[in-house]
Amino acid sequence: MEKPFILHMLTTAKNLSPFDVNMAMDAGWVSAVPYINVEPSEVQGLVQDAIFSRSAKNLKRTGIFIGGRDTKLAMDMLKTAKRSMFAPFEVSVFADPSGAFTTAAGMVAAVERELKAKFNTTLEGKNILALGGTGPVGQAAAVIAAQAGAHVRIIGRQLEKAQQVADMCSNEFGDGKITITAGADADKAEYIKTADVVFATGAAGIELLSAALIASAPQLKVAADVNAVPPAGIAGVDAFHNGTPIEGSISGAVGIGALAIGNVKYQAQNRLLKKMISSEKPVYLHFEHAFEVARDYIQSNA
Amino acid sequence: MSKRSILHMLDPMQNNSPFDINMALDAGFDVLMPYNNVKLDSVRGLTQDAVFSRGPSGVKRTGIFIGGRDLGLAMDMLDASKQAMMPPFEVSVFADPSGAFTTAAALVTCVEKELKEKQGKELKDCNAIVFGGTGPVGIATGVLASLAGADTTLTDHLSIDTALDISKEYNRRFGSNLKGTLAGSEADKARLVANADIIFCTAKAGVQVLSADVLKEAMRLKVAGDINAVAPSGIEGIKNDDFGTPLLHAINAKGAVGIGALAIGNIKYQLQHELLKSMLDGAPLYIDFRYAFDKAREMKFAQGSK
Repeated sequence: MEKPFILHMLTTAKNLSPFDVNMAMDAGWVSAVPYINVEPSEVQGLVQDAIFSRSAKNLKRTGIFIGGRDTKLAMDMLKTAKRSMFAPFEVSVFADPSGAFTTAAGMVAAVERELKAKFNTTLEGKNILALGGTGPVGQAAAVIAAQAGAHVRIIGRQLEKAQQVADMCSNEFGDGKITITAGADADKAEYIKTADVVFATGAAGIELLSAALIASAPQLKVAADVNAVPPAGIAGVDAFHNGTPIEGSISGAVGIGALAIGNVKYQAQNRLLKKMISSEKPVYLHFEHAFEVARDYIQSNA
Repeated sequence: MSKRSILHMLDPMQNNSPFDINMALDAGFDVLMPYNNVKLDSVRGLTQDAVFSRGPSGVKRTGIFIGGRDLGLAMDMLDASKQAMMPPFEVSVFADPSGAFTTAAALVTCVEKELKEKQGKELKDCNAIVFGGTGPVGIATGVLASLAGADTTLTDHLSIDTALDISKEYNRRFGSNLKGTLAGSEADKARLVANADIIFCTAKAGVQVLSADVLKEAMRLKVAGDINAVAPSGIEGIKNDDFGTPLLHAINAKGAVGIGALAIGNIKYQLQHELLKSMLDGAPLYIDFRYAFDKAREMKFAQGSK
C-alpha cells in the first residue's frame, strides 16, 4: 500500500491559516498536521523527527510547510530546516508566511504581463513604488521586482522603519545583490512623478494613492492593489480590475485589483504545493520559486 | 460505509512529535487529531468525549495516543484514560512518550535475543547496569529488565540521590527491584562494568559514556546495547548497525557482543508500527512499555528497510 502524503505545517503563530490548510488538501496532501507556536530553535528537532520515521522512498510523500506572519523568521526557518537534513533523509520545504510570498509573486507577475501587453516593455529599469511596502507582501514584492531588474523604493509612514526594511530586503532576501531604497509616505507626491509602477500593499481599507496623485503621474504604467476591502488602496482600481485603464491617468496607466492578483496567487501556491509532491528531488521553495510558477501560469494563459 | 479511523493524539507538550504523526498515518489511521498542552486532569473528559460520539462499532475505529516527554506523566495519563471508560465504550490507548516505551522495549528485546543466542543465558541469570538510567528510556529499560528477573541497577551521572529516588519510585509503581547508584567518575564506571553481564546505554545523544579504558575492566560482560545514534557512540567501538557484533574494546570479556542504535531503532520502528496497527484490531488495548515488551518478544522482525 502506498503511504499517505503528509504535510507537516509549522507556524510561529498560535494557529495555522485555514487558507493554507485548504490549499494543501486541494493540492493533493492527504494529511495536514499543525505545529503551532513554533520557535525557530525548535525547527531542527521537529524536522529531524519528521524525517527519521519514514524510508527515503516515503519521504517523497512527506513535506514541511512554514507559515507564520514574519518573512525573515520564515526564511530563517526554511534555511534551518534545509540544514537539518542530509541525503537520503530529506523532504521538500515550502515557506509562505501569511501567503505573502505567493501573493507578492502573483502581483509582480500580473504587473509584468500588463507592462508587456499594454506598453511592450519589461520590469527591467522601471521605477517602482511599494506603497505600504514594509509588510510581508510589500517586502517580497520589492525583492522579486528588484531581482527582475526594477528600481524599487519601499514607502512607509516612518522613513526610518522603511529604510530598515529596505536594507533587510536587499541584504537578507536579495543576498546583497539588489539595492532597494526607502522613502517616507509624506514624500510620495514627489516620487510619483518618476514612477512607472505602483504596488499598494498596505493594510486593508486605507487609500494609499489618491486620484490627485494618479493625475500627477506622467509616466505611470501599471498600478496594482492587493487590498480587496473598500476603499481601494489605489483610487479608481477596484478588486475586479485586471489591466483596466485607470480613470484620470494622463499616461494611460492600467490597474490590477486584488481578485485578479488573488487568482494568480492561488495558482502559484497550488503549483508549489504540487511541486513538493511531484519533484523527484527535495525542493526548498520561497518567493523566487513562487514568482517562477506565477510567470509560468501567466504565460500558459497568454 | 465503515467509519474512518481516528487517532486522538494527546500531548502535554505544545506540539506532537512529527515522528509519531508519520508512524500513525503509515499504520493506517485515516485521521489524526492533535490535542496539545493537555493536562492530566483533562484526560478523563477528553477520553469520554472521544468514546461517546461513535457508538460501539465506531469505538473500534477510534484510538488515543499519549505522547510528551515524561514517563510518569504518560503512565498517569494512560491510567486516567483507561479509568474513564467502561464497556462497550472503550477505545485502545497507547502511551509512548518521546518514543521511549517502544525504544526501551526494543532495546531489552534485542539484548535478550543476543543473550540467548550467543551465550545461552536468560535475563534472570544476569546483572544489568543502565547507564543514563534516570531518563525516560533508561527507567523503562530498567523496569523491563528487572521485571524479567535481571538484577538491575539504574545509574545517574550526577546524583546518587536521583538514582535512588527514581529506583524507589518506580519499584513502588511497577513492582520491580531496581537499585540505584552514581556513575560519575571513570572509577565508578569501571567498578560497575567489572561486575556487569549486561550494559544498557540510554544516555544523551552524542555523549560517550563508556570508553575503551573502562570497557577493559569488563570481566563477565555478555551483551551491551547502545541507543545513541549520534557520534560518538555511548559505548566506544559500537557502530550504529551492529547487531551481535563482537565488542572491540571489551578485551577481558570473552564473547561479549554489542547492539547499535540503528539496529535497535529498526526493531523499535517495526514494533511501534505493529502496536499502532493493533489498536484497530477490535478489542481495546492499553499499551505501555510492558505491553510493548511482551509484544516485541513474540514478534518476528525483518532485518533492514522500512
